[in-house]
Amino acid sequence: MFTKFFDSRYNPDNLSTLQRYVEVQSLENAYDLEANLAVLKLYQFSQKYNMDITCQILLKALTNFPHTDFILCKCLLNQALCEQEPIKKIISLADLLESCDFEKFWIEVNSMPELFKRITGFHDSIRKFVCHVVGITFQSIHRSLLNQLLGRVDEQTLKHWVQKYGWKEEANDMIFIANQDENIKTKNITEKIDFESVAAIMAACR
Amino acid sequence: MPNEVNLDHRFGSFFNYCDLFNFILSADSPVSLELPDVWLWELVDEFVYQFQSFSQYRARVQKMSEEEIKKVNANTKVWNILCVLNVLHSLVDKSNIKRQLEVYTSGGDPDSVAGEFGRHSLYKMLGYYSLVGLLRLHSLLGDYYQAIKVLENIEIHKKYSHVPACLISTSYYVGFAYMMMRRYSDAIRTFSSILLYIQRTKQLFQSRSYQNVQINKQTEQMYHLLAICLVLHPQCIDDSIQAALRERNYHEKMYKMQYGDEEEFEACFTFACPKFLSPTPPSTDNAREDYHKEAVQHQTQVFMAEVYQQKTLPTIRSYLKLYTTLPLAKLAMFMSQNHTDGKLEDKIEVLRKHLLCFKHKMKNIVWTKGTSGLDGSFQSGSELDFYIDHNMIHIADTKVASRHGDFFIRKIIKFEDLNRKLHAIKI
Repeated sequence: MFTKFFDSRYNPDNLSTLQRYVEVQSLENAYDLEANLAVLKLYQFSQKYNMDITCQILLKALTNFPHTDFILCKCLLNQALCEQEPIKKIISLADLLESCDFEKFWIEVNSMPELFKRITGFHDSIRKFVCHVVGITFQSIHRSLLNQLLGRVDEQTLKHWVQKYGWKEEANDMIFIANQDENIKTKNITEKIDFESVAAIMAACR
Repeated sequence: MPNEVNLDHRFGSFFNYCDLFNFILSADSPVSLELPDVWLWELVDEFVYQFQSFSQYRARVQKMSEEEIKKVNANTKVWNILCVLNVLHSLVDKSNIKRQLEVYTSGGDPDSVAGEFGRHSLYKMLGYYSLVGLLRLHSLLGDYYQAIKVLENIEIHKKYSHVPACLISTSYYVGFAYMMMRRYSDAIRTFSSILLYIQRTKQLFQSRSYQNVQINKQTEQMYHLLAICLVLHPQCIDDSIQAALRERNYHEKMYKMQYGDEEEFEACFTFACPKFLSPTPPSTDNAREDYHKEAVQHQTQVFMAEVYQQKTLPTIRSYLKLYTTLPLAKLAMFMSQNHTDGKLEDKIEVLRKHLLCFKHKMKNIVWTKGTSGLDGSFQSGSELDFYIDHNMIHIADTKVASRHGDFFIRKIIKFEDLNRKLHAIKI
């Protein structure tokens, strides 16, 4: 039999430390994807998933949109687990975020506040993602639409987000996001052949 | 007799591997063995393959005889996942290969950090191939993050190893992991580059050896994956790969996928994906009948959820392609042609959601520089992009002028060749 060392990543003795670390992340609004994936991997090896910790990891992954962390976590679960509540619920929330159905997302979130209570800064992390999508999509957006996407926040909070991203309030309740036409323009790909690349082949032909 | 592998063979092979690796790894000074790279690659690759094969066998408890079940239960350590990981990690550590690659990519001399064992090509290459083995193993378990991470400092295009099967296998798993992480640009780049390499070196894989059967299968799988990626994320690729997709009739599949045929997506995915495994075998007394399919089903489900989220994007893209500016209301009408009732306001609302989703899904991390394949920055690499200014969509497309350079180079070479032959004719 093959003996020797064990990579500490797969050492089940580390699990309790790693699990505590997950709770710290939830509490202190910190995030460490790699550590969380290591926890899920240990669960995968033992086939014993701690439901509470697994949910926290998945919820933390939601806070890191637009990165695809949630997919990475989901791939380490199994089918039976994905059918269990509250994991099933969290997956459907991820689905709404991925589809940018923010309106429905906020309704769902507001209907079960206890699920997110332990995740410090959950709502604002999602708003960050909303602002990311708005920032890459709009040149200017109606104030009420932005507010709707952010989950109907109060006047003060809306102003805060607009300011944070350097957007500008304009007349007629419009908000100017950015000059998108500078980045998003029709590209023409033409072939450029420089002298050097022709020189080599012409030198060979004699 | 390919199907005649019995449990004794599997156990025997495992113990042989243990003896060999123990011999190599527990030596006080480097074992003085020089083996060709191809052998070392196959040694490690086959090790992972046999683990995969054993796991699949073990997952079908119903097909095992009572005697086999008894034997398996008495030897739970045989082909255990931790044991396999242990071997691969030990080989990596013993050879200092990670440190060596780090120095190598920064332009230094790997020997300066290789250590006593790592300087020997036996240890060095076993270490290197173990990294690729880990890539494969992590992929089989659905851990795409570790899969890519383990290859840090390996620039697959720089070709540290010259074993074609290793290059091809590496690109297959790397590309697949990228696709699952929605890093389509990176996946497309990885697949195109290796498929070009295969195209150029085709004659190497003509003979019907077992390696070539594997290589040809993997090539076919990568064309499928490339087709999937190009449907989800249309972008310019090399002309000769485009031509190969046409010759191999992938356009029909791509056409179906573009029109939202989920079965086609699923069929392409299940044909082309790795043979996923559950890391732990089922218990022998009450295993579910389809346990061996579960891992594949789960990964398929994850992928299909992504496909489903992106379902409306190809339709939107096909409309946007026709315009440079388009009012939201007009596109909303186009998109709801089948159900004309309902308020326009609601239709616009639905469309806006899809447009946000379009932008979100098409902006992904793309590798630009650095030694880790996980690094990158958010980019919109797809050929069509747009932005919304209040109620108007402004569209930017990519226009590609036809290329002539390649054509002329081919003709020049052909002409040269002809000329040479003419000169050689003696009348």
